[in-house]
Amino acid sequence: MSVTATLPRSEEPSNFTPPEKPAPPAQNVAVTVVLLLVLVAAVWSVIDLRINLATFIDSFHNAIAFVSRIFPLDFPPFLEIVRMTVQTLAIVVVATVLAVVISIPLALLAAANTTPGGTSRTFGRVAIVIARAIPDLIFAVILFRIFGLGALPGILALAFHSVGMVGKLYADAIESIDEGPVEAIRASGGSRAQQIISGVFPQVMPQFIATALHRFDINLRTSVILGYVGVVGIGLEISNAMRTMNYDRGVALALVVLVLCIITELISGSIRAKLMGHEEAKKKGAYGLAFRIADAFSQGWVSSSRTRSTPGPDGHTPQTMPDGAVRTSPPWTLERMRRSAYLGLVLVVLAVSTLVSDISFGSIVDGLRDLPQTLSLFWPPSAGDMLGDLVHGMIVTLQIGLAATLLGAVISVPIGVLAARNAAPNPSVHKFFRITIVAVRALPDLILAIIFIVITGLGPVAGTLALAIGSIGLLSKLLADSIEETDERVQEAIRANGATRSQVFFASTLRQSFPAFVAHVLYQLDSNIRAATLLGIVGAGGIGFYLMGASRVMSFDVVTFIIIMILVVVLLVEALSVWTRKVIR
Amino acid sequence: MLPVHSVSHPHSNAEVIRFTDVTKRFGENVTALDSVSAEFQPNRITVLLGLSGSGKSTLLRHINGLQRPSAGEITTLGTRVDLAGTGQLRRLRRDVAMIFQHFNLVGSMTVLENVCTGRLGSLRGPRMGLFMFPRTLRAEAMEQLARVGLADKAFQRADTLSGGQQQRVAIARALIQRPKVLLADEPVASLDPVSSASVIDLLTRISHEENLTVVCSLHQVEIALGFSDRILGLQGGRVVLDEETADISPEDAYSIYDRVANPASVADESRFEAALS
Repeated sequence: MSVTATLPRSEEPSNFTPPEKPAPPAQNVAVTVVLLLVLVAAVWSVIDLRINLATFIDSFHNAIAFVSRIFPLDFPPFLEIVRMTVQTLAIVVVATVLAVVISIPLALLAAANTTPGGTSRTFGRVAIVIARAIPDLIFAVILFRIFGLGALPGILALAFHSVGMVGKLYADAIESIDEGPVEAIRASGGSRAQQIISGVFPQVMPQFIATALHRFDINLRTSVILGYVGVVGIGLEISNAMRTMNYDRGVALALVVLVLCIITELISGSIRAKLMGHEEAKKKGAYGLAFRIADAFSQGWVSSSRTRSTPGPDGHTPQTMPDGAVRTSPPWTLERMRRSAYLGLVLVVLAVSTLVSDISFGSIVDGLRDLPQTLSLFWPPSAGDMLGDLVHGMIVTLQIGLAATLLGAVISVPIGVLAARNAAPNPSVHKFFRITIVAVRALPDLILAIIFIVITGLGPVAGTLALAIGSIGLLSKLLADSIEETDERVQEAIRANGATRSQVFFASTLRQSFPAFVAHVLYQLDSNIRAATLLGIVGAGGIGFYLMGASRVMSFDVVTFIIIMILVVVLLVEALSVWTRKVIR
Repeated sequence: MLPVHSVSHPHSNAEVIRFTDVTKRFGENVTALDSVSAEFQPNRITVLLGLSGSGKSTLLRHINGLQRPSAGEITTLGTRVDLAGTGQLRRLRRDVAMIFQHFNLVGSMTVLENVCTGRLGSLRGPRMGLFMFPRTLRAEAMEQLARVGLADKAFQRADTLSGGQQQRVAIARALIQRPKVLLADEPVASLDPVSSASVIDLLTRISHEENLTVVCSLHQVEIALGFSDRILGLQGGRVVLDEETADISPEDAYSIYDRVANPASVADESRFEAALS
């Protein structure tokens, strides 16, 4: 607000002049226009994709048919399930570890306090941004061509794309450390590497592990979708089953994935909460029981900082071993043994995963040898004779993203409001909607997409509905969180003026959390458009479908064309979303 | 402003640290050190007194090259700090230990490992890690911990200790360097009076046992008077007092804190603090 606007103007000597309303900054006008355009585009998308009651009624018979076709569920033999599960987990473990291994040096280059210089910093940051910008699907399509079928392309695709998130969060963690210990090591003559290993790593380790676990959960879900382009594991089996219309088998396997996702998320969530020092609230019911079991499992991973104490002699005598030598390593308390056992377990899991995922090193060599030749297949890009189709596919993908975000945002407002402790009419309503949100968030996009594909048929409606439900889960959670964080004193002040409950809500609560909500919606739009390209490969409409087709008939020039198209759109949308969020915050 | 007392130095040829016309500027307007010249003789405890932003920390951090001067010469233990390259500085720093206001321990590592990090500068090759400190070094760390009275806490995480205990761990970490010079930057500013006293007692004892040359910045005049051989007063980056502690009256010492006489320096200091934060 400009200061002069509040002063009376000198040429008008009257004792009261209403201050002129200051003109809003040009940037705000631009953002408002952009937001309105996005809204109009989203409404148009919903209409154009025919997401309406009529479609649902038409699909009703399909739904009935679907239900009759999936029951009884056709589970494969138990050992077969175990084999697929182990294979999927192994690939995800190796991919996540590889992502961590690549991310650490990049993060050290990208973080302001550990980077050796400006050029390295730019390199690190650019590498991380590129890894995030290129969807794993695109990595997978290219890498399958280079390395042939097998586990390796899937692992590399998951790992490379993960670097975008893991590297960014690692760099953030490094930048927020306490510089004191690092300086102490520098002051005693430690080298740069020593400062990093002994001063930086011990501080960021909990965050590094927590981030890796979080990424593990995400990679597990993605790996199943990538099964459709040939990544081995449960995803591949689901894709085969759906392609041959064995819906009873496909849905059974999807249920296995659902259970797997819930179990891993519970375990990793519990370990993460401990690592970061949060005490999880007591949970009740079946979910609570599962959580407590996971909790018991994760107990040994993390030592709570307050429980360790070593009874020894007084402070002025070095501790000695039974043979009289000075003790130089901690005694083998039960806790140390348990920690070592878990460390051993992790190493065994890593080794087994590497073996099971069956990376053939021959194919690495072959792939790299043929790399120039392979890459020449991808160049120059060409639209083939289907430029019109491709552009239309891209537009459909955008429509899916827009429509899904709009539906998700509209539906998540009431859910989010009712889930917020300070806005819900009573505690049971708050609890009910919180649990609903948790349940919705547990459903992987893929499973929703599969269900909707069977109900509404192949096409964009299925993708839109799957992504809309995913968006409801995240947006309503974020809205509820931001409502709970609003400043209660403002609400109290308005209430004190005699305002009704709904007046308080609209004048204060919603107003305070609205900018954050818009920012979250834009972020969700950005990630929905990425996800829409990915879901296209399972038949949920849009450009992903063409990418899949082109890669299957080996028109790699078309693949390149599509990849470039996707990249341009994704980067533009992200730039727009980042800019808008910056202005409205 | 106080007149600068000229002092005859008994060992002026054998100084460990020498500052000649050292000036340090941050940006264009902030002068943290303004043509400082001073010498520090072996086996003596010098306390730097002054307000926040008077240049105490900056002076200390020039001794081991954590900061480089904008102009002037610094010689520490025969090394020209203002000219030294990275390798030379690292070799110098092995002989110059430093302790800090906020202890600067790695909270998630054990006390013993924290002490071991003091010797990283002398370790080479792969042995720079978390768990790879040689057994002999660990044994020595345990002895230094016994010396500061914390051997019983060796295997606890450092962040489970009280502030005073953490500072004693930091002293053990300094001792394991077997230093010739000890720099202490506000070592008791974050501690309660009882812990402060025990840390100062410990510093005094080890300084005499190890024949250390100590340069220590402090806020508290009483502690400085009881602890030091010599007091150097700083105001706005200039040396305004340089006396043997025995010759100094408490009034002289307190007058360093008299800011009313020179309001301009207050403005300077707040700019300086803004630049640092």
